[in-house]
Amino acid sequence: MAGPRPFAPDLLDPSRFMATGLSAIFLQNRPALLRFLRARGAGEDSEDLLQDMWMKLEAKDLGPVADPLPYLYRMANNLMLDRYRSATRRERREQDWAEGAGGVMADPSEDIAIDDRLILNQRLEEARAVLRSLGPRVELVFRRFRIEGVGQRTIAEELGVSLTTVEKDLQKAYRAMIALKRKMDTE
Amino acid sequence: MNEEALGWVIRTRDPEFADWEAFTQWLEADSGHAAAYDALMMADAGLADILPDGAATIAAPANDPGQRGWRPVRWRGSWIAAGAVAAVLVAAISIGVMNRADIYSVTTKPGETRTIALDDGTRVEMNGGTTMRFDRHDSRFAALDSGEAAFMVRHDGSKPFRVTVGDAVFEDAGTVFNIVHSGHATRIGVSEGKVIYNPEAEAIALPAGRALSDDESGLRVMDIAADAVASWRHGRLTYANVPVTQISADIARSLGVRLTATPGAGTMRFTGTIRLDRDPERFFAGAAPLMGLTAVKQGDGWLLKEGDGPPR
Repeated sequence: MAGPRPFAPDLLDPSRFMATGLSAIFLQNRPALLRFLRARGAGEDSEDLLQDMWMKLEAKDLGPVADPLPYLYRMANNLMLDRYRSATRRERREQDWAEGAGGVMADPSEDIAIDDRLILNQRLEEARAVLRSLGPRVELVFRRFRIEGVGQRTIAEELGVSLTTVEKDLQKAYRAMIALKRKMDTE
Repeated sequence: MNEEALGWVIRTRDPEFADWEAFTQWLEADSGHAAAYDALMMADAGLADILPDGAATIAAPANDPGQRGWRPVRWRGSWIAAGAVAAVLVAAISIGVMNRADIYSVTTKPGETRTIALDDGTRVEMNGGTTMRFDRHDSRFAALDSGEAAFMVRHDGSKPFRVTVGDAVFEDAGTVFNIVHSGHATRIGVSEGKVIYNPEAEAIALPAGRALSDDESGLRVMDIAADAVASWRHGRLTYANVPVTQISADIARSLGVRLTATPGAGTMRFTGTIRLDRDPERFFAGAAPLMGLTAVKQGDGWLLKEGDGPPR
């Protein structure tokens, strides 16, 4: 099975929530959310994004939510991440078009050739080796957090170590993994 | 790499994260922060391409607050024969003298068990096909070289009991636990008290109801039902989603039979309890269908293959 999808979208699953009045909480905290979106770099689109959120909340009738405010913040954050992602993708496509001198661009996600599959497996192996080299605890912590989507507090309890230790392990693993990914992408 | 931004990526990715106000303040502190955060969040998402999918561990819905999020699967509780006492009486135990005079080794054959009582009141129950080393002058030391053993340790805080397994060390903190060691894989389950894994390195604490496994796919900790720990002492094999290859190794060790599984059968997984039986014919007649498999006698051994049940 696949690991948790990026940006913890299951937090948006309404079935896990219990309290009431998501819309009311939204209205109460509108200024704070607006401030967050501005800080997040939404600029003059901030108001529009809030409006989008409001429409979504109303249309979806999400029902009661246990921690409504963090839920709303996360929703806003995910909107920004989506924006950033599609902007990056568009940029890249335009660049590819320019470089391709008007040729027909295939959708890169369409099908994966066998060679690519081999490279993919090789990369998985390489990533596993890098993770292993950081030591068993770092590997375990990273796996629990990033692949299985478990929170840091829970991981600390499971391992009987402090929260700070878990944080440090994660920083270490992330640094190594992101550096590896960047190296692979430039190859 | 922007360390602060990385810190926020990790924090906001935590399903329990709630301090969005502090995050807002950090973003406001510098107009470059949001871009650094976005870039690292993208990098984080990109990691999905090079990470294993975690299939080996079967996670429950990650954010389900009702559970701890992780129903374990890899751990296997162990089992053994109802005739354990009889087996001890007839067991041909080889006690070899190691190069150091006070270290001695004890080996049980497949299908045999043996209880070792150490001077401090600690008891070690060895399953079949197991080799261990002990120290005549240090009753707080044991080494599990291969096989499986259950430990009932008399706790002494001033002098902890330590089991070495390959390069790893398990240190008790007043404890009943079970260890299996085969090839490069080690599994431990704790049913009472607490065990510390590698106290001088990782120092992972395993309280009762927790298990740890270390094999080619990495180190994991998980839950285990306390009564599944060392259930072999009660003539049972208890499993939660365990591959048949592992189960057949346990059966072979417990009953003293040669047992192989076809590749297809070996990758299947089983959840449930298998009652052990000294009579292999009777045992396989009951156990194989339970696993959805068929057992056939081949020469002096047995073969587990995919069942003759309805085609899937």
